[in-house]
Amino acid sequence: MRKPAFHRADERRFLDERGSSGPLAPNGLNPATIMEKAVRERIVDSYFYKEQCFGVNEADIVDRVVEHVDFIGGVTGTVQKPTPFLCLAFKLLQLAPGDDVVDEYLRHGGDRFKYLRALAVFYVRLTRPDRDVYARLEPFLEDRRKLRRKGKSGTSLTYMDEFVDDLLTKDRVCSTSLWKMRRRDILEDLEILEPRVSPLGTLEDLLEEEEEEEAMQNGDDANGQGHDGDSDSVRSVSRSRSETRPRSRSKSRSRSGSERERSNHDRMDVDEPGTQRSRGGRSP
Amino acid sequence: MPPHNRMTANPVKPARYRAGKAAGPASESEASGSEEDDEPQKKAPPRRAPPPRFTSASGPGRVISRGDGAKINLQGVAVADARDEEARRQAARVARLEAEKKAKEEGFVTEEEDEGGESDEEGSEEESEEEDESEEEEEAPRRLMMRPKFIPKSQRQASGSGTATAGLTSETNPSEEDAAAAEEARLKAADALIEEQIKKDLAARAAGKKHWESDDGGSDKEVDDTDDIDPEAEYAAWKLRELKRLRREREAIEVKEKELAEIERRRNLTEEERQAEDEEHLAKQREEKESRGKLAYMQKYFHKGAFYHDESKAAGLDKRDLVGAKFADDVNRELLPKALQLRDQTKVGKKGATKYRDLKSEDTGQWGRLDDGRPKREFDRNVDERFQPDDRRRDWDKGGDSGAKGANAIPLGDRRDKPREEDRDRYRRNDREEGKSRDRSRDRYRDDGHDSYRRRDSSRDRRRSRSPRHDRDDRDDRRKRSLSRDRDGDRYESDKRRRVEAR
Repeated sequence: MRKPAFHRADERRFLDERGSSGPLAPNGLNPATIMEKAVRERIVDSYFYKEQCFGVNEADIVDRVVEHVDFIGGVTGTVQKPTPFLCLAFKLLQLAPGDDVVDEYLRHGGDRFKYLRALAVFYVRLTRPDRDVYARLEPFLEDRRKLRRKGKSGTSLTYMDEFVDDLLTKDRVCSTSLWKMRRRDILEDLEILEPRVSPLGTLEDLLEEEEEEEAMQNGDDANGQGHDGDSDSVRSVSRSRSETRPRSRSKSRSRSGSERERSNHDRMDVDEPGTQRSRGGRSP
Repeated sequence: MPPHNRMTANPVKPARYRAGKAAGPASESEASGSEEDDEPQKKAPPRRAPPPRFTSASGPGRVISRGDGAKINLQGVAVADARDEEARRQAARVARLEAEKKAKEEGFVTEEEDEGGESDEEGSEEESEEEDESEEEEEAPRRLMMRPKFIPKSQRQASGSGTATAGLTSETNPSEEDAAAAEEARLKAADALIEEQIKKDLAARAAGKKHWESDDGGSDKEVDDTDDIDPEAEYAAWKLRELKRLRREREAIEVKEKELAEIERRRNLTEEERQAEDEEHLAKQREEKESRGKLAYMQKYFHKGAFYHDESKAAGLDKRDLVGAKFADDVNRELLPKALQLRDQTKVGKKGATKYRDLKSEDTGQWGRLDDGRPKREFDRNVDERFQPDDRRRDWDKGGDSGAKGANAIPLGDRRDKPREEDRDRYRRNDREEGKSRDRSRDRYRDDGHDSYRRRDSSRDRRRSRSPRHDRDDRDDRRKRSLSRDRDGDRYESDKRRRVEAR
């Protein structure tokens, strides 16, 4: 399964070799069968594919995306017309760009053109092993740009982080059945991945923060006590693994113990993690 | 009234170009124009190219050509006032001119045209018009052959004017001028339509829309994907989404931990406690099952399905009890007459309705019924032993649950002391034979043919049975002849069938 020296301009050889002799994707799948036959046929018979995706290389893909892609989606309408997004994704499957190119799409290109990032994210989900998928896609859970999505139920608004989340959790996105990845917690148990730290911190941090604010608002006279209570509860939670607080919302500890301390450092909404607490005369 | 050239519901397509025929969108746009004033002019004739009309029934050879080659476009001409005799006559004249024009090309006036002209006078206008129109279309391929009439040069009109107005103004007739004006208006409307279409195409092309894109580009405007309109709001929305995702993950972790805790707990319980818990659980299940309603008479059983459990749980519908549900119009079907007690109410009174009511009433089995419905023989146990039935054993077999029924109800015979000599030999022989025959069975099968194979096989099987009664070999080989012998002879050796009959 050698990588061919040249890419073919059309998709015929790519599809013909889908049985055996073509090179496989990094996750072991045959790239020609990642999309279903019905969808493949529609793509290959569509005008957009025949005109615009003929003889394109990785650089031309960027041009095509910028010119023509205005929405993400699979097939639309009663005749199941493939979207330009899907046609270009199929072309990417044929081109099989390497990791460096894909990273460029994701980072620099994606910063400038969000639909390019959407396309690259889709491609990564289709062709990369699960560890790489999580590693590459999770940073884009912070990208909140809007995307237009065309589906069976018409056009709707979605966001990049929602799209990435769908790719990570759902089974079928954009008329393609996504291959089943192992769940994140399984990978964490296998030590392949680290638990994810959201830029917002963990839920407990956030809730605490709310508590602290409330306490500060409510108890002016009971300043110290309020903070005592808070920091005590903080410490008690940090010690026990699965202790649930007597609250309306019960929470249990997240997996690693040091996560809390670590996450305090990259909280975006607080200048320094220690400033609030220091007011009550307690050191963290 | 939809435009009807013909009496179909198909949309009217613009007329094709036919060489030599006066082309005109006028007829179509006329029709659309007349749709507005539908009601009052319902009876008004649809404005079409008027049929050739002849006021007088003249022979087929009547000359109706203009003779000077002027094109007379009469497509738009229609009679304004249907009841006006003048108008009709004038229309007839117009029709004549039309026919002349057609005659000039080629062809002959057919009888039908004449007829059409005649019937026009008689019948109502629109019917005949429709007839004529349909005829007109049929006539197009037909040839109009008329004898050309010579018109001297002084009376010839200018031949170059192909416009309707020029042709019609030659007639200097007021109603025709009106018609001409109306036709112009229609032409203009058609042109406007075409222009509009062209403009739309140009606009689309200018906007860079590709031909592979469908026409619902408007949806792009509905959903706006420009960013940074309101950064604060967007950040807040994103934060909300992120928090929801975090919570979802947290809940998944919790569920798993709870399950692990539960497993731990159960392991730590002792055996009795486990059993107690299981019992509790089962009791609860049983109670739930019983507290559910029973199916009413002929109630349809609704299976809740295997697939959408999660969705229905999310909608809070998983605990509902459809069986015991009551609704307002619930009528007890037992009270209905039999004819209305149908499962499928749409078939009431129809021929193919199935008479099936419910399983219980259609069932013919004897589930749980212990007697055959035969009248039970009452025996008095207190009489003397001599007057009691011989086989008392039968009764106490049947006392509790009855034993076998039917063919199995034959009592077991006593064991015979020793099997008959022949039988014993045969058994021994068979045992030896079977080993050999199995090897040679294939050969035998091939050689002897079907019958011998079967016979050998069946007799071998039957000979296996050790029970002395079932000597099927006898029956098989000497069936017809063995009747009397077996009956008189050993009772226990004749086959079952005979035994039952004897009883």
